[in-house]
Amino acid sequence: MSSVSKYFSGLFTGIKSLLFGMSVTWKELWTKKVTRQYPENRDTLVISDRWRSELTMPHDENNEHACTACGICEMNCPNGTIKVISQMIETEDGKKKKILDKYQWDLGMCTFCNLCVLTCPSDAIKFENTFENAVFNREKLKQQLNHEGSKLRDKKKEPLAPKAE
Amino acid sequence: MILNYSQPLEVTNLTSWLDAALRSSLPEFWVLLIEFVLVGVAFLAAYAVIALILIYAERKITAFFQARFGPNRVGKWGLLQSVADMVKILLKEIVKINRSDRFLFFAAPFFMIVASMATFGAIAFGKGLHAIDFNIGVLYVTAVSSLGIIGVLLAGWSSNNKYSMIGAMRSGAQFVSYELSAGFALMTIVVLAGTMQFSTMIEGQRYCWNLFNGHISSLIAFIIYLISGHAETNRGPFDLPEAESELTAGYHTEYSGLQFGFYYLAEYLNMFIIASIATAVFLGGYMPIQVKGWVAFNGIMEYIPSYIWFFGKTAVLIFLSLWVRWSFPRLRIDQLLNLEWKYLLPINLVNIVLMVILVLSGLTLTDLLPGWF
Amino acid sequence: MAQQIIFFVLAAIVIIFSILAVTSKQIIRSATYLLFVLLATAGFYLLLGYNYLFAVQIAVYAGGVMVLFIFAILLTNRPGESLKTELPVRRIAAGLTAIAGLAFCAHIIYYNVKKVSDLVAQADITPQQLGHTMMGTDKYQYLLPFETISILLLACIVGAIMIARKR
Repeated sequence: MSSVSKYFSGLFTGIKSLLFGMSVTWKELWTKKVTRQYPENRDTLVISDRWRSELTMPHDENNEHACTACGICEMNCPNGTIKVISQMIETEDGKKKKILDKYQWDLGMCTFCNLCVLTCPSDAIKFENTFENAVFNREKLKQQLNHEGSKLRDKKKEPLAPKAE
Repeated sequence: MILNYSQPLEVTNLTSWLDAALRSSLPEFWVLLIEFVLVGVAFLAAYAVIALILIYAERKITAFFQARFGPNRVGKWGLLQSVADMVKILLKEIVKINRSDRFLFFAAPFFMIVASMATFGAIAFGKGLHAIDFNIGVLYVTAVSSLGIIGVLLAGWSSNNKYSMIGAMRSGAQFVSYELSAGFALMTIVVLAGTMQFSTMIEGQRYCWNLFNGHISSLIAFIIYLISGHAETNRGPFDLPEAESELTAGYHTEYSGLQFGFYYLAEYLNMFIIASIATAVFLGGYMPIQVKGWVAFNGIMEYIPSYIWFFGKTAVLIFLSLWVRWSFPRLRIDQLLNLEWKYLLPINLVNIVLMVILVLSGLTLTDLLPGWF
Repeated sequence: MAQQIIFFVLAAIVIIFSILAVTSKQIIRSATYLLFVLLATAGFYLLLGYNYLFAVQIAVYAGGVMVLFIFAILLTNRPGESLKTELPVRRIAAGLTAIAGLAFCAHIIYYNVKKVSDLVAQADITPQQLGHTMMGTDKYQYLLPFETISILLLACIVGAIMIARKR
């Protein structure tokens, strides 16, 4: 092809492709908006189950949990987010036993790495997808996960089924 | 102007009443002084308000092109968003840069804003809303708007920052080249209209816009003017002076607060100015759509105030510019210069000759169909 | 009255910035001061009612030549460096040359200023008249100088290409 015809064919194909591009964006202008507006769509909002945003310790109807206060989660936590405070008590048959007193978790320091949940031998803790964690005070981020007056579940009982979402 | 009495919405009524009221009570000198100050204040206010509206409109339209909503939290439909942004930018600190050239750093934004303001003054917003109407109007506009580039170059140099510097050099090369074809495109229409004065040019387009009057030649000139005007304002696919992936923000990287605001305002206003000059030169400015012979139709069209016509036509062109901006990817610097020097400029030169032939041999639409136009 | 005030303001700008342009140690600042001088000159033209000359002054000098100046300065080695003071002999020589030039111009202006004001007296010049004068071949029309200058510029462009190609 001679350079002159190349020049003109280049010019016209250029114009054609520009017009095609503009027609594409013109169609795009009238497509439905894909934005979800958050606070308004709370009712229809779907957050994946795998989303980790809050550590919880499931309790059953008798206010019993599965935590044996072994402290593995505390050891595995890379940031020292978890603090397991245990106490020694004497059971009826005279044995000494370590039970959970306070299970403290600091949301502000947690990286949601899931190591605590993975390593827990008794599946006592799990991550929930309740994502609205904002508070006005940093102290409020420090939570105690075991409920007041809760106690360890008997081993013979069925392990608590994972909480359905 | 047969139908002048039936235009109650024109601003001319207000201005002439004000003028008469002032003249009846004050000497000539004071009347002029007060009117100058009023016009100046009105222009500054219009400058700021138009910029705010443009910023809002651009953000909205951009969002629509990308299937988003755009600003929608501050006020109804986000209408107050740009006002809030303006307040924020006014309150920001103007940072002093170490080892920069203080005087030039301070002076550079003013070049930009003064050039843009001086061009803004030459726009005919409507009947009687025309501050500067030289007999060389088109030349004045091209001349004064070329001052802005000095602000860009000085900003790039005085910031003592390599990104600013590279951005300024790119901007300079781009502006100098594209100004040429913008000027030539306007000159093509000057050949057609036989005048450089905006008011005469607009009056001459009463029944036939210049865009249609010179058919092929006008259309080419119109497209070239829009492309090169778009490039002059450093927007859209031609925004390599501020290509954020390479140069952070280009020549205004080091600016903050109101000084950055000046560049921001000037950028948006330049978009408006380019669109409104294209309106005046190609689309009949503030003239309503009129057809020879249809008296009733013309009367109805005349009833719509001229400034609405002007802003409507300008808005269409601004939308076109946004559309282009969000359609095409950014050009490389060699592609940019190729487009100007290998395509637009030669086509433009041929186009001027073509237009001269059209005018001299009576092939314009008004000559071909004298009864219609 | 208002015209005189504007004239004196513009004259002050021209004088101050001319002196600054010459005495400034940084070349880029000199260029900027020179720009102010050119803009104030454009202001004079506007004051006299020469709209065309005003626009050309701004387009050609402020918008064209100054941009090229600044561009060229930015492309030089270390544009921000302060200049050193010249030798006293050269300074005296430069001063004498400047005074001689000033005297020459002053002489011409002083003896011709009346003629100029006679020629200038005619009112508003339309662009059409200007175009005909520039492109005409009659007396007081300037086609020949116009074309001569265009040939000169063409020669400059060809020369620049020859230098730039280095072959």
